[in-house]
Amino acid sequence: MSYSATASHDEHHDHPTGMMRWLTTTNHKDIGTMYLTFSLIMFLVGGFMILCVRAELFQPGLQLVQPELFNQLIGVHALVMIFTALMPAATGFANWMLPLQIGAPDMALPRLNNWGFWLLPPAAILLTLPFTLAMFGIGDGAIATGWTFYTPLSVQGGLGVDFAIFSVHLLGISSVMGSINIIVTIFNMRAPGMTMMKLPMFAWGWLITAFLLIATIPVLAGAVTMLLTDRHFGTHFFDAAGGGDPILFQHLFWFFGHPEVYILLLPVWGFMPQILQTFSRKPMYGYKAQVYSLWAIGALSVVVWAHHFFTVGMPVPALLYFMYSTMAISVPLAVLFFCWIATIWRGSMSFETPMLFAVGWIILFGIGGLTGLVLADVAADAQYHHTYFVVAHFHYTLFAGGIMGIMAGVYYWLPKMTGHMYNEKLGKLHFWLTAIAFNLTFIPQFFLGLAGMPRRIPDYALQFTEFNQISTIAAFVLGLSQLLFVYNIISCARGGKKATDKVWEGAEGLEWTLPSPPPYHSFTEQPVVK
Amino acid sequence: MKSRPIKRWPDEEREAVALSAVDYRIIAKPNCSLSSKERLAVVVLIACFSLMIATGFVLAGAWLVLPFAGLEIMAIAAAFYYVNCHSRDYESITIEGDKLAIEKHSYKQTSEIVFNRYWARVLLRDLPGGDQALLLRSHGKEVEFGRHFMNNDQRLALAKQLQKRVGVIH
Repeated sequence: MSYSATASHDEHHDHPTGMMRWLTTTNHKDIGTMYLTFSLIMFLVGGFMILCVRAELFQPGLQLVQPELFNQLIGVHALVMIFTALMPAATGFANWMLPLQIGAPDMALPRLNNWGFWLLPPAAILLTLPFTLAMFGIGDGAIATGWTFYTPLSVQGGLGVDFAIFSVHLLGISSVMGSINIIVTIFNMRAPGMTMMKLPMFAWGWLITAFLLIATIPVLAGAVTMLLTDRHFGTHFFDAAGGGDPILFQHLFWFFGHPEVYILLLPVWGFMPQILQTFSRKPMYGYKAQVYSLWAIGALSVVVWAHHFFTVGMPVPALLYFMYSTMAISVPLAVLFFCWIATIWRGSMSFETPMLFAVGWIILFGIGGLTGLVLADVAADAQYHHTYFVVAHFHYTLFAGGIMGIMAGVYYWLPKMTGHMYNEKLGKLHFWLTAIAFNLTFIPQFFLGLAGMPRRIPDYALQFTEFNQISTIAAFVLGLSQLLFVYNIISCARGGKKATDKVWEGAEGLEWTLPSPPPYHSFTEQPVVK
Repeated sequence: MKSRPIKRWPDEEREAVALSAVDYRIIAKPNCSLSSKERLAVVVLIACFSLMIATGFVLAGAWLVLPFAGLEIMAIAAAFYYVNCHSRDYESITIEGDKLAIEKHSYKQTSEIVFNRYWARVLLRDLPGGDQALLLRSHGKEVEFGRHFMNNDQRLALAKQLQKRVGVIH
């Protein structure tokens, strides 16, 4: 029996070059590079927005921007940083490193991977376009409700709210696509011998992140769709006058919003122990304890959401439940901190740039965690809610814990990705400027919050002037020092000292067995994990 | 005739078994670390978790969460279904007597082409990017092998193996 079979050129090998390579690529490394590049661009866009805000806050009164634009800049800064800078950065690392770390040739669903990325640029345009439209007299600017879309303000808001709703839908679809791909890849494409309890910690971090996204994105999508129908189709989900409940929106939003914090942090908690062990030249301490702690934090993160709005008014049993459940997160988090410190304890440490960022990250993220405990207390939160204390707290978790963690990851893997070593002196300078300027930006904000300065207000009482001035000057140093980061990345991509395959003396894992940069198709032989 | 293995490829995507000193068989297939039952269990677990959350919000009046949860579960199920459908895909070359059979299985479709072993030729064709496609040709018919489950080095090594058994490399 014979059937005709014709040979055709393999489109998988026949990869196009130039612009079409990036538009149509299904290669996990290409897509990872696009995610990381997009993330860096949006990080600069979001940073520029907040520098406008800090410039306005340099002194009391209104100098540079009107209150309407001030509100828009704050809201879009948060949305840009969370959805288009931090999340894509973590997804970029996932695309680049997960297949390499688990010994897979690529992601499980490469075409889906491409679509997931290309939803991001239109979403970013939708978020920021209303600023431009307003210059031409169309609409009244971008969303001005903060990133939380709180009703009834968002029901009454202008065109920018609709743009933000559609943008969030696109970002949500992109996140779900990425999550599905990561779940299928990790479960189905592990190298022979790589059992679940041999997974690299980064894969665990991302697997739990993907589960959290799957659990919470439909809630956000439902919430913003209900908001859209309230705005344009006569429904009253969140309108008390029509029998709805504006507080319901807060429950919906924060059911997504709180796990979102861990969605941003879990991937970093995944690769950070790998960095710590590399530069301590010691095995990772407490692998199982870390895995179980990540799961515990993931599970707890979906049952604590109401601590974000204690002051809205809740029955006392609800307040107590949300307070204690929130505080309970500190237990597995403390286990993680213990393991991270135990990993470097008495290690043969060296302080290359990734390690500097990693150690700085432990300390600064620790401050973010501890100040979170203060806010978890119902009585204390009644005082500090909606003050600059909250702003400082979440920047210690999301800038120090998230962005500085991502920076550690960039310096750690950049030689592997590009095949060249970055400029170490410039990297260290970048770390010190970032760490010092970051603390000088946000420590004053803790004290401003304790003294009662409310957030999201462009004007303030005279007594807050000096600390705001320190914060603003430091914020500009922080912002400008990121240009060193950009320069270092670009110059590393263009050339430099050749990186070895292993790059770092103490590096462990399958990705370090490949050449730097890895070939277009990752593994020439299927690795077997023993 | 009793078969005995003569060659085990280092890559576990492929299994090579010689049926005798002259007969030869190679199978190329993807690595799947999850069984069909385990894939189903993962989908059911995620679906239950997502539906539990959606049901809670429906009871609180936010019924629009449910369709989004449903869409998402359908997408996850479709992704795992796609992976499951292609988990048994393979390509094989069997040389037995004067026959050279190339079999390809993708989802439910199996195609086979049989050449005369002594007339068949092994070809390597350059591809953009520096890789080579491995082709077997005879009597105007041409079939590509190792397209999905082998990388370039593996195809080159296989071409050398086949050269000894069926013809010359061009």
